[in-house]
Amino acid sequence: MDFGSVAARWLLGALFVYTGLEKGLDPVSFLKLVRQYDIVQTPFLLNSIAATLPWFEVFCGMLLLAGIAVRGAALTLAGILIPFTAVVWHRALILQAARAIPFCAVKFDCGCGTGEVFICGKLLENAGLILLALWLLAGRGRQFALRYSLSNSNPSSSPSQS
Amino acid sequence: MMVVAAAAGFAFAANQLSPRGLNLARDYFPGPASHPAPSHKAPPLAETDRRIKEKGLQPIDRAQAERLFHDPRCQQGLVMFVDARGEAPYAQAHIPGAYPLDRYHPEKDLAADLTPCQNADLVVVYCAGGDCEEAEYTALLLRDAGVPAQKLFVYGGGFDDWSAGHLPLEQGERNSGLAPVKNK
Repeated sequence: MDFGSVAARWLLGALFVYTGLEKGLDPVSFLKLVRQYDIVQTPFLLNSIAATLPWFEVFCGMLLLAGIAVRGAALTLAGILIPFTAVVWHRALILQAARAIPFCAVKFDCGCGTGEVFICGKLLENAGLILLALWLLAGRGRQFALRYSLSNSNPSSSPSQS
Repeated sequence: MMVVAAAAGFAFAANQLSPRGLNLARDYFPGPASHPAPSHKAPPLAETDRRIKEKGLQPIDRAQAERLFHDPRCQQGLVMFVDARGEAPYAQAHIPGAYPLDRYHPEKDLAADLTPCQNADLVVVYCAGGDCEEAEYTALLLRDAGVPAQKLFVYGGGFDDWSAGHLPLEQGERNSGLAPVKNK
């Protein structure tokens, strides 16, 4: 048994359900935060990111908690986390220049669902989450999974065999 | 791909079903782009006023807002205040008699606020102040809904400036007469 991997899957799942709900239940606040990043100019795109990204996280988090399509959910979350971490980093560099303070002293609400955070801690946390997602993507966390893979041809899709 | 497709379906449905969901087609930040200053500090009032004027609106300061609040026309509904901060902060405390207007969900309040705004001589819109641009966008919403632009004023200092001046506040619903707990 590999309880560590299952715990990692549950941790990642629970974290994304929590942060996704924090943002999804207050999309206006999230919209304002996403706008600060200045990554999209089209209102439809900006609104779509703010309105749907949190629910993407909630959905994938629930899949991880239940152990359904684990690799797909982990890949989707990594696909969200990696570019998001890059734009958070970029925004922190802008804030650092504007405030003329050390990089790790930069503190702001990055729209991560946890309020204002210090950037270095946030980047370390995101790096850890990306590693966890990649670990699950590599095929870990099969125990207690309802349906590890959606593909029926995969012999490891049954929980009894995992 | 299946996960992404299912997540997208779930996400769009959740946004559609949520009473706080966003209207994807609406431009919530119309007009010239004015990106919030990358700073913790509130911008100086001159900067806020410049931003307000850029949007074709008229800024007022605390002294002017206070004068209008004490203007006898305020009691007659000819001078009115509109609070653009949203439901929760409004319930906590607002300028007494101010009408709530959440521009992200205008269907809630706009119909009720529009006639008083059109009948008033002056409409003062405020939000939290500083970096907050909600008052400006709410004033633009009112202008687009038919309130003449010359009647619309934006109190740039906003609620934070008003409460810093220890001016009257009201809690709960409009005209509740209840003072916020911290002001007692």
